[in-house]
Amino acid sequence: MSIELNNEFGQIDISTDVLAQIAGGAAVECYGIVGMASKHQIRDGLTDILRKENFAKGVVIRKQNDDLHIDMYIIVSYGTKISEVAYQVQSKVKYTVDKTLGMSVKSVNIFVQGVRVAND
Amino acid sequence: MQSLDGIKFAEMVQMGAHHLFQNANYVDSLNVFPVPDGDTGTNMNLSMTSGAKETEQYASEHIGKTAQALSKGLLMGARGNSGVILSQLFRGFGKSIEKEATIDAKGFAGAFQAGVETAYKAVMKPVEGTILTVAREAAKKGVEVAETETDIIAVMEAFTAEAQASLQRTPELLPVLKEVGVVDSGGQGLLFVYEGFLASLKGEPLPVKNEATLDDLINAEHHRAQDFMNTMDIEFGYCTEIMVRFEEGKEPFSEEQFRNELNPLGDSLLVISDEEIAKVHIHSEQPGAVLAMGQKYGSLIKIKVDNMREQHSAIVGEDHKAPSSAKKAEKHPYAIVTIAMGEGVAELLRSIGASYVIEGGQTMNPSTEDIVKAVQEIGAEKVLILPNNKNIVMAAEQAVELLDIEAAVVPTKTIPQGMAAILSFNPEAAVEMNQATMTEAFANVKTGQVTYAVRDTSIDGVEIHKDDFMALAEGKIVLSTPALKDAAEKVITDLVDEDAEIVTVIYGEDTTEENASELVKFIEENYPEVEVELFNGKQGLYPYIISVE
Repeated sequence: MSIELNNEFGQIDISTDVLAQIAGGAAVECYGIVGMASKHQIRDGLTDILRKENFAKGVVIRKQNDDLHIDMYIIVSYGTKISEVAYQVQSKVKYTVDKTLGMSVKSVNIFVQGVRVAND
Repeated sequence: MQSLDGIKFAEMVQMGAHHLFQNANYVDSLNVFPVPDGDTGTNMNLSMTSGAKETEQYASEHIGKTAQALSKGLLMGARGNSGVILSQLFRGFGKSIEKEATIDAKGFAGAFQAGVETAYKAVMKPVEGTILTVAREAAKKGVEVAETETDIIAVMEAFTAEAQASLQRTPELLPVLKEVGVVDSGGQGLLFVYEGFLASLKGEPLPVKNEATLDDLINAEHHRAQDFMNTMDIEFGYCTEIMVRFEEGKEPFSEEQFRNELNPLGDSLLVISDEEIAKVHIHSEQPGAVLAMGQKYGSLIKIKVDNMREQHSAIVGEDHKAPSSAKKAEKHPYAIVTIAMGEGVAELLRSIGASYVIEGGQTMNPSTEDIVKAVQEIGAEKVLILPNNKNIVMAAEQAVELLDIEAAVVPTKTIPQGMAAILSFNPEAAVEMNQATMTEAFANVKTGQVTYAVRDTSIDGVEIHKDDFMALAEGKIVLSTPALKDAAEKVITDLVDEDAEIVTVIYGEDTTEENASELVKFIEENYPEVEVELFNGKQGLYPYIISVE
């Protein structure tokens, strides 16, 4: 699947994988996030953190009536204020997608799939 | 000072929170990363205030317990990225001295180091040049100094100095900071907390903000402004900076009063002052008024005025239009927005009923955005868009999708078609109704154009030489000839038939009124039954645009 943009010169297709990479990349730069998780933790058997090339498994891009929605499955660090970390991810992802792709995102939904306790 | 207890530490926290609170607005103004929304200071301040409150409530002689209280308060009140990081720094700090009643210099430095380690664990990809960098480099320095130094104040001094130095280095590490010309906002916030700690330990007053920072403020302000703006949206066009030296005999200066006076003149207002000098930065449409206002208090010792529309066009590379014309656009609840090249053509279209004519045409197609903007500018509730060019039809259709008002495209491909369509517009009818009747109306119009060739080629079996005049009838090349007159006459003879009633000739920049009059004479002589109208369209590229209906 891909997202289409039209302008007077023609059409631009952006693969959802690309969008997922960008959204995932923006998310993991946020403080308090230790990684992206798979959407289907059991099926994929990946209880662990996704590697960069698999970000798409933890980011779901949906297009509904021309609105763009992004679902993100993340793992956060124990001892942080999780609600705030999630909010930061939403804000950063929305901003980054808007900046780099010029698309406005209707919603960024965060699913906290895990908490990681740092060994201290 | 050889050892630190919980009561003293609680005082330090209060002082740190207070110092941050006083400078929260400044920290806000530096915020350009990760999202330039200008809330870092507010967020950090709220986080720190929550920490300080908890500390005050549960302060005990036991420093481990006091630090735990701070850690808990920060965690509960954490707001924003930097607030969360702050809470992690002190969570690690608190954890490492959990069981200590008092700490010495080594323990103090070690606790900061532990805080940094905890903070780094909670992030997958630490970005350098941020609050994390400042905390890390300062802690490293603190640990080094504490190897030999046993005085806690001396350690804190070295620690704070390194935090300051590290903050100044943040633009080297994070490109966006360098680009904008500011230091990291979160790092700055952390420095304010550390400065508060130090002042409390030394029993000295809090340091006063340095004047040179106005430059930082201005840079950040401009960055935010440019980031979200289009040239046409710039309401206040002149970036005005003045420096005023107060003088005897003039009005006594009050920063607040001055601020209030300046406020109505524009936005992005920044004023800082001391006993002798005030520095002002404002975006205004009336730089003169700003200067006059400054002069009331003393003499102007520095003046800088930049035209931001010019600068901004250069930055974003878009054609700029002064807002004066745009602002004056009248409101049209039921509007016709059309696209044309040439002043005269635009004038003509307006005279027959177009609400707004967007400048554009063959070689400079307006974008979807331009169309949307034009429609919004005239405050239309219902709109019909006439592209007058086949290359703009698509952009117009997209504009309709973007607009949340009733809108439709009448897919006119030429100026004469657009004119015919506008003339059949019925302000009483619904948008779809008009779209249908107007589309029908322009279908009866035949369009001829005369333009010149830019290179040698062959189209539709017609040999074309560079600089030849091409006669186009209904978009098809019918003749290519070096003589403009021949081309124009060929268009007429091809298009005018026995059904023709009116011939409209719009002549452009590349021909003269005499030539055009001759062409009219030619039509009148050969086709006595048709009526001829002549307009000066002032359009480029097309010496003649001819419509036959």
